[in-house]
Amino acid sequence: MIEFQSVSKLYDGLAAVDDVSLTLERGTLTAVVGTSGSGKSTLLRMVNRLVEPTSGRVLIDGADTASVPPAQLRRRIGYVIQDTGLFPHWSAARNIATVPELLGWPKAQIRARVRELMEVLQLDPDAIGPRRPHELSGGQAQRVGVARALAARPALLLMDEPFGALDPVIRGQAQADLRRVQRQLGTTVILVTHDMAEAIRLGDRIAVMREGRIEQFAAPAEIIAAPATPFVADLLGEGDRAFRLMSLRPAREIAEPGAAEGPMLPAGSSLAEALAEMIWTGRDRLPIAGPDGRAVGVVRRDAVIRAGRPEAGPE
Amino acid sequence: MRGRISILLVPLAASALLPFAVFRANRIAAGEPRSLIETLGTAGASAALLALGLAIAALMVIRQPLWRLGVAVPLLVSLVLAMGWGAARLGADAPTAARIGPGAGFWIALTLAGLLLIDALARLRPGPAARLGFAAGAVALVWLLLGSGVLAELSVMEEYRSRSAAFWREGGRHLWLAFGSFGVAMAAGVPLGIALARAPRLRQPVLGALTAVQTIPSIALFGMLILPLGWVAANLPGAAALGIRGIGMAPAFVALLLYSLLPIVANTVAGLTGVPRSVTEAADGMGLTRRERLWRVDIPLAAPVIVAAARIVLVQNIGMATVGALIGAGGFGTFVFQGIGQTATDLILLGALPTVALAFVTSAVLDAAAGLLPGAAP
Repeated sequence: MIEFQSVSKLYDGLAAVDDVSLTLERGTLTAVVGTSGSGKSTLLRMVNRLVEPTSGRVLIDGADTASVPPAQLRRRIGYVIQDTGLFPHWSAARNIATVPELLGWPKAQIRARVRELMEVLQLDPDAIGPRRPHELSGGQAQRVGVARALAARPALLLMDEPFGALDPVIRGQAQADLRRVQRQLGTTVILVTHDMAEAIRLGDRIAVMREGRIEQFAAPAEIIAAPATPFVADLLGEGDRAFRLMSLRPAREIAEPGAAEGPMLPAGSSLAEALAEMIWTGRDRLPIAGPDGRAVGVVRRDAVIRAGRPEAGPE
Repeated sequence: MRGRISILLVPLAASALLPFAVFRANRIAAGEPRSLIETLGTAGASAALLALGLAIAALMVIRQPLWRLGVAVPLLVSLVLAMGWGAARLGADAPTAARIGPGAGFWIALTLAGLLLIDALARLRPGPAARLGFAAGAVALVWLLLGSGVLAELSVMEEYRSRSAAFWREGGRHLWLAFGSFGVAMAAGVPLGIALARAPRLRQPVLGALTAVQTIPSIALFGMLILPLGWVAANLPGAAALGIRGIGMAPAFVALLLYSLLPIVANTVAGLTGVPRSVTEAADGMGLTRRERLWRVDIPLAAPVIVAAARIVLVQNIGMATVGALIGAGGFGTFVFQGIGQTATDLILLGALPTVALAFVTSAVLDAAAGLLPGAAP
């Protein structure tokens, strides 16, 4: 559990972060969204003490971070940044081994951990491991950066615009990977982004920041259904609200018994994907697959559209 | 580019018309030119001209750098061998006091063949390991030529024979001056550079002061050090026993050390401040302490820039150490200044040639070493 207690950071008397109090549950992914200069990176960097708060406290599982020497604290917290910050003079494998090496793990254990992580992140250990960062593609370098942050099994992972430098196709893949790895490992993640779509896609909860303050802290569906301030609504983009909400809800929730013609909708599809498929193929009923890949029911167009309105939303 | 370097072939051909050797009745007498035919005889000169012609023709046609290298190296070696044989031939029926040295034709041909060789080497784009190999090969080749006795009749070698003990003694002093002052400058300059990289406010004043030192002419700096070091020797117990004196090795050593500091300190600062921000940010974020970051990240990444400074400083020191002979510091400069005093060109060469060779080899080795560093730019 991460608690920010009345945390402020002043630079030359101006507040970059202004009296923020937040509690983040263990094992969740919190997305901090805001425009540039909103203080979201500063807030993140106060967790691992790259920035020291001017006032207030940050607690991890009840312990004040200020009571732990910074280097020791940071070795327990994974940290991923936009430009990856991979050490250019080390191979990918050695980069991943950085923190275990600092912690003095035995060599064999480090080697095994590096292999394991590279496999989790779908990097071929024998092909990619010996490469230097300049020999990696953007997506590979980003995954090596994530593997490096996870190497010493941190319970907490901080990510500062981790996907900002990736092209849209690779970004989608990287986001899906992060969600999978996060669920698999149960890591608590704080992810800073300026991209509301990314926050909605990844966050269990979203904190919207503006001028150093939290405008709203809620689950994505709630943010979309009831933006607390005009700024949050602006960030969402009014016209896209219905589609954003529909992209959150799985189509399976509104499936009815029955059968329909044509190709099946995959099990994990959202309402937005179901609707897109209907428009594209000119159908108003789609068969939908269950987890085992067999048809479990039908999704009807009017049900999809009804479910896209906040009143019918989950909250 | 190939077209432009081929222009060198014209003066290379023309160099055959210039005197190949210089004959002196004794070591300080004025030189008399000897043409290629006079030096090598009709048969020898014809063979030499034929070989030169073939080499020029080959270099006009061949584009492949490795094959060009295969022409340039034998050309260079045969030039030196021809000089040795020519000297032996001219010396055979001359009085013992007579000296035979290389003439303008030889020097020009040697320089041009050397340029063609370097051009071919550069086009091969050899990796660092290959460059080290070439440097070692060149040293071995020179060693072989000097040791074989083929060049024994050349005037420079005669000067060497009459001073071989002094040659190696002064050579040792030269190395000590150049590399010793470099070592101390690295030991002081790198930590100073690290400190300045962390304290931006001190950077300008310190680098400014070191730049000011750099602007003092070397002879003036030697002179300026005579007084304070003389005072230290006279007043500080034990200083004189360590060899500290107003003249001799000590002021030259200190002067070279002072000149070395600017490149080392400035490049250390540049190397460290050039480490990408995302890299230092990641290092800090992962919990590297300042010391760990310095040794594992900052210094390895700055190393290529620091080694570049080391190369500049060593080449500069090797050259400048020659001037130290003026205040009795010894080194190869001793022969240069003796030679100037006696108007004995060969003696000047005895001091100058090893200095040039030393600087050349040092530069090549450090250049290659920089490429072998893990932090070297890909």
